[in-house]
Amino acid sequence: MFLHVFLHVFFPVRIHMRPRLLLRPAGAGLVALALSSGAVAAEDRPVSAAEPLLVPMPPPSLNFYGSPGVIDMPSAKMLPDGQFTTGISTFGGQTRYNLTFQATPWMSASFRYNSIQDWNMGGFGTYYDRSFDVRFRLMKEGQYRPELTLGLQDFVGTGIYAGEYIVATKTFATPSWGARAGQDGQLSLTAGIGWGRLGSYGSIGSSGARPPYDPDSEGGEPAYDQWFRGPYAPFAGIEWRPNEKLGLKLEYSSDDYVTETQTTDVFDRKSPFNFGIEYQVSPRTRLGAYYMYGSELGVNLQVQLNPKSPPTRMHIKAPQAVPVRPSRSANPAVWNTGWAASESVKLQLRDLLDPELRADGLVLESLTVNADTAELRFRNLRYMSYANAVGRAARVLSRIMPASVETFRLVPLSGGMALSATTVRRSDLEALEFDGNATDGLLAVTAFSDAPAQAASAIPAGDLYPDTSWSLSPYFSPSYFDPDRPFRIDVGVALRGSYRPAPGWIVSGSIRQRIAGNVKDGPPSNSRLPHVRTDQVEYAQYDTTLNNLFVAKQWRPGRNLYARATVGYLETMYGGLSGEVLWKPVSSPLALGVEANYVKKRDFDQLFGFQDYDVFTGHATAYYEFGGGFMGQVGVGRYLAGDVGATVSLERRFDNGWVVGAFATKTNVSAEEFGEGSFDKGIMFRIPIGWFLGKPSRQAFGTTIRPVQRDGGQMVHVPGRLYGQVRTAHRAALQGQWARVWE
Amino acid sequence: MSAFLFRLRGLALLALLAACQGGTDAPTLQLQVIDAARESITAKLAPKSERPPVTRAVLDTLDGAFLEITREREDLTAFLFPTPVRGAGTADEIIVWRTETDETVTLRGGVLIATRGLGGDVLSSEVQLRPGGLGPASGQRVLHVADKDNKQLTLPLACDVVDRGPARIEIIGWSLPTHHVQERCEGGGGTVVNDYWVDAGNGLVWQSRQWAGPHIGYLRLRQVTR
Repeated sequence: MFLHVFLHVFFPVRIHMRPRLLLRPAGAGLVALALSSGAVAAEDRPVSAAEPLLVPMPPPSLNFYGSPGVIDMPSAKMLPDGQFTTGISTFGGQTRYNLTFQATPWMSASFRYNSIQDWNMGGFGTYYDRSFDVRFRLMKEGQYRPELTLGLQDFVGTGIYAGEYIVATKTFATPSWGARAGQDGQLSLTAGIGWGRLGSYGSIGSSGARPPYDPDSEGGEPAYDQWFRGPYAPFAGIEWRPNEKLGLKLEYSSDDYVTETQTTDVFDRKSPFNFGIEYQVSPRTRLGAYYMYGSELGVNLQVQLNPKSPPTRMHIKAPQAVPVRPSRSANPAVWNTGWAASESVKLQLRDLLDPELRADGLVLESLTVNADTAELRFRNLRYMSYANAVGRAARVLSRIMPASVETFRLVPLSGGMALSATTVRRSDLEALEFDGNATDGLLAVTAFSDAPAQAASAIPAGDLYPDTSWSLSPYFSPSYFDPDRPFRIDVGVALRGSYRPAPGWIVSGSIRQRIAGNVKDGPPSNSRLPHVRTDQVEYAQYDTTLNNLFVAKQWRPGRNLYARATVGYLETMYGGLSGEVLWKPVSSPLALGVEANYVKKRDFDQLFGFQDYDVFTGHATAYYEFGGGFMGQVGVGRYLAGDVGATVSLERRFDNGWVVGAFATKTNVSAEEFGEGSFDKGIMFRIPIGWFLGKPSRQAFGTTIRPVQRDGGQMVHVPGRLYGQVRTAHRAALQGQWARVWE
Repeated sequence: MSAFLFRLRGLALLALLAACQGGTDAPTLQLQVIDAARESITAKLAPKSERPPVTRAVLDTLDGAFLEITREREDLTAFLFPTPVRGAGTADEIIVWRTETDETVTLRGGVLIATRGLGGDVLSSEVQLRPGGLGPASGQRVLHVADKDNKQLTLPLACDVVDRGPARIEIIGWSLPTHHVQERCEGGGGTVVNDYWVDAGNGLVWQSRQWAGPHIGYLRLRQVTR
């Protein structure tokens, strides 16, 4: 109440509800675009009506740690669900590269790489470190109550940025200044209490003893014993956003920067107050300038993406309509089934289908057809979403199959394995294509099931096998977090070739020619374990390398079962044998897999030779789709260094192909043997290029980032692991992306 | 430094020249990105082609019906040719109008029910027509729009249709007696106004301005040939 009165005195505010609707009217700007057409009188035009628009609310701004916040202090705000942010902040010789993912509406996680100049301690001139944060929303903002959030900063190990906080933020609508018509300004008030680093200035009490920062620790383990321990101190901040572009910030920081200003001499901290001004340069980019701690200028570049909102909206060439067959009574001759006895007619049908499917980015593998049913087995080369591929295949069948063929069974294949069967009735396609709710209507009458074994009467593709493909294109191979140079990269050209002698078989290889790069200048391995992954610098000494060369066979050993056998040079560092079996019913969220490999370490020159290190490695893995795009995976087994343990990973998979995930592996290697980081962990992301290009594509790029690459808990990279091939064509994925079926 | 620049330039050139492929497989990621970059550069460098003014004399040489559609937000105009797909000859005939570059706008009795290839398309719409095909009927109308992350956004609109009386319209040298039918819809936090100019005799919608969802916005349509 006091706050309310206070605000009314100083700001003419009214309590602001959180963004109520995604849909809201825009200003008058868009209506002004309405041009007159023909000889229509001006008074016939709508003049004041604003059309419904999907304008996302501007996201909260970020602090110097890449989380929603004021300047150096956090706020309680959460980013929009799924938001993926990256950015760089710098002041007083300290630079932080931040990556934050809003994994759920109430939880976000951050990863940070930072450098501190003039450290001059522990043998470091400039100090580099990595850290993880997590934030949990405890209470959502209401009309009168603030948002409340709990955060753990640099919570793994005795990190340099370790701090915990509970913070509250309340937003208010204010009069705007220079904003779009009808848009309010926004004032955010933040107050919180911090421990650790965030309790180091102006502390008002203490809760237990906090172990001191230990620069010699291997780190890596969650530091439960220090959370919310030691002195605590209040912090506060104000942000005013008078319009959608501009932001003014003021904060009182409870971070005393003890190590940076007292133990060593990174900068001078003269005041707890920080001031800032921010500007939204583009819908995804915000830039801020600050005056910090009474002595330093700071800059913060904030980039925010949302996997759900592509920069370019997907444009897929319009399909051909589903033709309606004449009624049986009007034209009985068309419905004659005599053709079904003729093999040559069936061959003709296959030959008619083939070019039509190719035009839609699909490849016919086989056709089984009788008087009333057609089963099409095909490869999907173009669409990230199998719903889209299945829809296109069904349309092609409807244009070519004789009228009596009423049931279409669409079976996408990957590497010769039938992934699933989508069964639709042709009359449903005809009736629903222009129906009011065509998408849901078709889903209600479509069946998804395991693909049956291919019938003996199936007609294979005419001249598909042997099937050869090749490509010559550039490649980029990065390497992260060498203390001397955090980012290294090799670039060159890669020649890839594949040869498929028969369905299910593939011979594939890739040769790389490096043109430039500095990965080879990295530090040598200091690992006490067998060097199963840390010899990457040794492997980077050669310009011309055989990246991989292998033979693989994939097949379906039985109902709900998928299998793969691979032999050859599997990846840059290992060659050998690999076998995998996966159980995954089409409609089940659970999948179980077993993989066994015998591999030898390849020579550093990555030609045909091997080194004197071989190992049996393999895992039993359970995969589970929790719904809402969340997928968990637990694998137990033996890793490359001969260590035994388990890997847990959690991913959020968006329907458009974006994946953001994190993983950790703990094996029977002790933290001392493992070295820095104590155990293997990291984050990964994958971005489909269709998201950028606005064109359908199955290609995606991404990377796995480990804070540090060691030798414990490492797996061999086998090309063509089964789960990734299978899941995307199963029921959960097909239904989740069903809106694409008529596109 | 110059050696470095030389290398860099050589690299860029190589990346562009070295990108090629053959066979069944889809192009690699790098190739698709390079192709897209090439296309975008070519499109930017290409001289803007000025469409010659469309006159009635030019249109008279054309065979069959053409629909001129303008996307108001982008101020882009295209001529579309028809494929009748359902209910030929009836008042609520469904026609798919297609551009040369495979974008389509589907009309039922002249009322927009779907689009494809425009991005953020209208996947389908639930709309009632007035008996005899004189534009839409009053009542609820639901738009299903392709939206975020491969999902369908459902947008219900409450619509009122009023006949604003006779109106004579001009379509490139044609003067046509029509009825102006206006549909006003509320929903989704905004207002949508669709206008239809309907032939008084045969119920054909000669000209209209229709809203194609929040991503596409308003389209202006007029049939320029019979």
